[in-house]
Amino acid sequence: MDLVRALKAIRRSIWVYHLNSGSCNACDIEVLDALTPYFDVERFGIKLVGSPRHADVVLFTGPVTRESLPKVVRALKAMPRPRLLLVLGSCGVGGGIWWDTYATTGGFSKLEEILREQGVEVDRVVYVPGCPVRPEAIIYGVLVLLGLAEQKVREVEVHAPGG
Amino acid sequence: MSLVKILEIALRTGRVTRRYPVEEPLLTSEFRGSIEVDPSKCWGCGACTKVCPPNALTLAPSGKGLVLEYFVGRCVFCGMCAEVCPAKAITVTKKFELASANLRDLRSRVVHEVARCSFCGAPIAAEAELGAVVKATPVAEEYATLCPRCRKGRFARSVALRMGVGGGPS
Repeated sequence: MDLVRALKAIRRSIWVYHLNSGSCNACDIEVLDALTPYFDVERFGIKLVGSPRHADVVLFTGPVTRESLPKVVRALKAMPRPRLLLVLGSCGVGGGIWWDTYATTGGFSKLEEILREQGVEVDRVVYVPGCPVRPEAIIYGVLVLLGLAEQKVREVEVHAPGG
Repeated sequence: MSLVKILEIALRTGRVTRRYPVEEPLLTSEFRGSIEVDPSKCWGCGACTKVCPPNALTLAPSGKGLVLEYFVGRCVFCGMCAEVCPAKAITVTKKFELASANLRDLRSRVVHEVARCSFCGAPIAAEAELGAVVKATPVAEEYATLCPRCRKGRFARSVALRMGVGGGPS
């Protein structure tokens, strides 16, 4: 499969599928908020679809609870390549306040390892922190995912002046 | 509702959509975005790491020194770190455009020099914290530069000497 060409073809209107892996619903409400006429992502051609088989991008929320893990893997397996993921909220990105509990896998980084073990490849991931994410942050995340906007955050390391 | 009526409402309301990437985002005065740590003010005391609900802020020794790491990917933007910071080094900004293609870019670090015990050489705390403590409280300099264990030992020995027991173990 020509992945590079497929990734280029994603310049058309993208269809998104909303996948909740046990989030508190705050991020899900913000996703709906982004779809309302107030933020209106349909002006970019972004459309919510009901099945991962129709989707270009998955809007992934939640810290991946143990109960949702097999369903999440099945939903992502059903997605056509290229698989693009927008990981929303602190829960999805780093596990949030549930990052080290027994009931969750602790965010997308751990899920990625499980997916790799099961042979499910993810082609591009963009992490969008926020608790919950703002609708504007979701729009900005989509722009970064499609390469239309520059990423603003960079890794910083500063030395403090000694006592 | 008839189409004419819907049209009338739509015309009366006008455009409500915010053209976000072109227009300014809707940020209220109460909005809390990512935090910023001022390295020139930070003591490296770790009060923020104790209060942080998801442990987005961590203070841990590494090869370079005492490292205060902020992982914005796990931050819940509660602002408690800014409230609790004794040095007022943490400010809550209004930054929300934090999307990143990898997790590495979501981390920021402040590296502190480690102060060592003048007697046994064990690490005590960050240099900056020691300086701030000495400035704020009348602790004798020689005690401030000792690790808790050596401080205890020295105190016990001085009490023992006063009671006439003798030198005792150091």
